[in-house]
Formats: sequence, structure tokens, C-alpha cells
Amino acid sequence: MAIAKAERLMNLALCLLGTRRPLSKRELRGSIEAYLEANSDDSFNRMFERDKDDLRELGLVIETVENLDGEVGYLARRDSNHLPPVTLDAEEAAALGVAAKVWQQARLAGAASGALQKLRAAGMPEDVNPYESHGALEPRIPVHETAFEPLMLACRDRRPVVFDYRKATAARPETRHVEPWALECWRGHWYLAGWDRDRGAERVFRLSRITGKVRSRAGKFTAEIPDVVTVRETVAGWAGEITDRTALIRLRTEAGYPLRAKAARVRELGDGWDELEIPYGHGLDAWLVEFGPDVVVLEPAELRADVVDRLRAVAKG
Amino acid sequence: MAANAIDQTRRMLSLVTYLRERPGARVADVARAFGVTEAELISDLDVLPLCGTSFRGGDLLDIDTDGERIWWHNPDDVAAPLRLAADEATALLVAARAVATLPGLRESDREALVRATSKLEAAAGETASAGDRLSVTFESEGGVFAEVDRAISERRRLWVRYYSPARDELTEREVDPIRLFALGHTYMEAWCYRSEARRTFRLDRVAEIRILDEAAAPPELELRDLSEGLVQPSADDPEVVVEVGPGGRWVAEYYPHDSAEELPEGGLRITLRTPDPASLKRLALRLGRDGHIVAPQDLADSARKAARAALEAYEQV
Repeated sequence: MAIAKAERLMNLALCLLGTRRPLSKRELRGSIEAYLEANSDDSFNRMFERDKDDLRELGLVIETVENLDGEVGYLARRDSNHLPPVTLDAEEAAALGVAAKVWQQARLAGAASGALQKLRAAGMPEDVNPYESHGALEPRIPVHETAFEPLMLACRDRRPVVFDYRKATAARPETRHVEPWALECWRGHWYLAGWDRDRGAERVFRLSRITGKVRSRAGKFTAEIPDVVTVRETVAGWAGEITDRTALIRLRTEAGYPLRAKAARVRELGDGWDELEIPYGHGLDAWLVEFGPDVVVLEPAELRADVVDRLRAVAKG
Repeated sequence: MAANAIDQTRRMLSLVTYLRERPGARVADVARAFGVTEAELISDLDVLPLCGTSFRGGDLLDIDTDGERIWWHNPDDVAAPLRLAADEATALLVAARAVATLPGLRESDREALVRATSKLEAAAGETASAGDRLSVTFESEGGVFAEVDRAISERRRLWVRYYSPARDELTEREVDPIRLFALGHTYMEAWCYRSEARRTFRLDRVAEIRILDEAAAPPELELRDLSEGLVQPSADDPEVVVEVGPGGRWVAEYYPHDSAEELPEGGLRITLRTPDPASLKRLALRLGRDGHIVAPQDLADSARKAARAALEAYEQV
């Protein structure tokens, strides 16, 4: 029966952590049963390379050292793999317990509980029930987009990527070459900021509009990464939250609470109508149309024309 | 399977350190500390004695269990606490920073998070820097959040004025709060006395809130599983079919749906279910020339009617 991968990884980790001198591939193959069972040099080599990568993903620092005879050896030094002392009190431990539960994405959920396990192994106090000390709070970070994981890794490793992207109103997706800088979640949706090589400019992409696979590209970033990457400001602009103008509308007395909440001024007109001055940003026309006959736009003329245009489209059906 | 082997290896590496510090640890306690079932822990304990620095030399881990307690007989130097991997540090740090942004979070909880975050950054060293490439902001109305949080911990009833966009109306209700959660937006799950049912309230739609003197007495309810998503339409709900052009593809991102078929020229035919199709009239109005309701007919008619009534108002003002 084939030896389970976890057992093989565990053995490699213990061998590399336990040695004080670099161990050659030959020595490792002789010490680990799963490698002895490998039926060819090729399959051993492939297995060994993959296992080393997996252990590095788990945080192990594995050094490659060449000895005097030119033979390559591997070891994981104690001092570079040791967790520095961390002293967390019970409150801090409970807070991290809540934080570790927020990820709904398998890789990050696994990594977060792995971090807690390491901290607990290093002596962090154990919370009986994190929610007891934190009331009934349950924050969750949703990740529905399949592009998330490859982009997260590409941002981490600073690798250029290629993907097909469908702009909000485009009929067809277009291929984009991007140097990914940072991912940000706002209002439950994930966005990527990076350097768009085709356009030679910084761009923000919404992950749900990426179609198909995210592919990595060889090579380094060509554009300089800014100190501060601003995703939210760009997205807030799309969402119409950046406004520099105002609009004047009529609103039925009982209607449109959110419009009232945003209004700079409300004036009663009588006859069941009020007049409101509201901030005018991107997308206001579509929002006002939602209120149907309860809203009439007075100014500016451009907004009034947009709303009438939309209403005509719906009226025609 | 591969992901499981990684998580299992990660866990076993920490287990080795953890068990050394706690001779005779109880299986139940260790399983809880590691967030796994007892069966999963026992299967880890089956693998560990097969691991070591050399299977032939006999330097294997000497860990055994009688099913209730776990014993450890190795020399001390096998098991120093391991440093955090980049993904582990990122997962925990990003989550902790995100939770700390929740407006209305209790000050003592926020302080514990901030303290824990900076200790973690120090312990993670350079690996913490990849965490800067990922960020999450939760949105919520701070004041409302704090009131709900207080009502939950004091087990008191709440009075709220709540805005329902589907009907464009404010209603007053008394509710017994059950929990707060954040999933993009921040929500309160509560027993609502107006509808005599469990309801989910989005905090940014609470226009007014007051804590009442009465004690909360919500019926015993099983908490909803949030990983299934917030809206969980039932199979008995009426079906709505919407056809959109490229400009209306966002509908598929915002509304949970049964199917979304591609149409020529970048459009979509979206089939979804809702207990109250009339609530989608706003969507029909909003779509304008970017889409229309195909079924049910009375929903399509009501949107057309609303648009015509609105256009009439424009002829007068």
C-alpha cells in the first residue's frame, strides 16, 4: 500500500529539522520509507521536489548547501525555523480565535487554523469558547470568486498574470496582462489592483468579472509598486459615492427613506410632495428610476434626461 | 486530497510540540484545541509513531494513546515551536485587522485585537509583509452595531424603525436580537414580533434603534448556517426569469439564481426564485434598456405601469 502523503511530508520535515549537517538526497532517500519505495529515480526526484515545495508552503525554511565534494545537501536550521517567543494573554488569544474563523475560503481557513495551532503549541492560552467573550459576533469574509486563490498567490509571490476580463457593459471578455499588487474586499466583493500592461496604467478589476482561468507568466514586475495601493477609492467612485455635484428632486412624502437620509436639504411642498437636494454621483439615474412615480428629477437637465430615457425603455417593455 | 495532506502535516507538526508540553493530555481537549474531531486526532496519532528522523535507525516519534489520554516519551529537542508560514501569518493578520475595523466593536475587544496583531507581526517578522497585499473592510453603522451588541449581551428587546427597499417603506418592529454577523455588510439576526418569525436585518437599513426595558425572550432556534449564503430561496418559491444585455450582467452577481444562460451578444437569461416577486419591481425599473422581466407577466406589467405613471409626472413638472 502506498504510504500516505502526510506521513511522507512529516518524515521529510523531521529529518530536515533534526539534522545538524546538510543531508544529501541519497541520504534522505535512504531514511524515508516512502522514498525507498519509489520505483525509479525520476519518480523519487519529482516526489522530493514537490514535497520540498509543500513544506516551504507550510513555512519551513529549507536551505540548500553544497558540500566540498560538490554534493548538494538540505537542512532546516533550528534557529531559522523557530517561532520567536510570543506571549498572548487570554483576551488576545480569544480575539485571534474569532479572527481565525472569518475565512470562508479553504486555503486561508486552513492557514488561519494552522497559525492558531502553532501559537497554541507555543503556549498561547486556550479559549474555551471565543464567542462567549465576544458576545454574538460572527464576522465572515466571503470568497466566491474562483480567481481569488491564484491571484492571492500571484500577489504574494509578485508574479505577472493573464486573464480574460469582461468589463461591466462589454459584450465580450478581453485578455488582460496584469502585474497584481493587492486584493481588497469591499462590501462582500473582491477587487484586484495592479498594473495593466496593455494600457500602461494602474487599474482595478472586479474578481467576479474575470472569466476563465488566471494564468501565471514568467518574469518580473516592470512597473514600480506604489507605497499605497488604493482600491476602495476607485470602487467607491464606481458605486457613486464620490460626488461633487447636487441634484434637485421631488419625492412623495411617505417614500424614499434612503434618499432622505442622504439629502442635504428637504423642503415640504405640500400636496404630498417634498423637494430634496441630494448628492449626484455615478449611477444616481439608475437608482432614482427604482422609485418609479414617487420621484421626479428637477435638476440638472442631464440627469432628468437620463432618468426619462430609462423610464421610456421600461415603459416600452 | 492533496489539500488535506497539507493541513494534516501542518497539524501534526504542531501536535508534536503541543503534546510535549502536556504529558497525559486528554484526547478530547487536544481535539478541541486543534479544531478537529476526536476521530481525526486519533488518525493523526496513528501516523505520528511512523514518523521520525530515520525509520531504520529507530528514531521514531514515541507517542501513544489509550484512546483517552496521550503520552509522549521522546527527548525534548525534537519539537521546538515552528515559525509561521507566509499564508498563516497573512490569514490571521488580515482577518484580525478586518475584525478590528468593525465600527461599534467593543473597545476592549478592539484593543485586544490590536495588541494581538502587533505581537503577531513581531513574531512573524518578514513573512508578515505579504499580509499587506490583502485587505478586508467590513461596513456597518457603528452606532446601531453597538446598540445591538449591548442588547445581545444584556439580553434585552429592541425597537427598530427598519427600511425595506422592496416596498420602499419604513416599518416599526420589536425584535429580540440573536446574533450579529458580517458578510460584506453587517447584519443582525433576530426574532421579529411583527412577522412572528426569524428575520435578518441589514444594519445600514436601520433608521432608528432603541433598547427596551423588556428582557429578550426569543424562541429556541437553531442558528442558520451562514456558509450557505445569506439568501436561501426555497424550491417552492415562484420563479422569475430576467433577460439582460451586457450592461445588466451584474444581476447575476447580486441575486442568487438557479441558472444563468449566456445569450448572443453578451447577454444572460437568469432564472431565480423569490418568495415575493413583487419585490423585484425595483430591479425591473432599474434595468431600463439593459434588461427586462420575461416572467411572471404581472411583474413585467407592474414595472411598465410604474414607468408610464412616472413619465406622466414628467409632463406636468
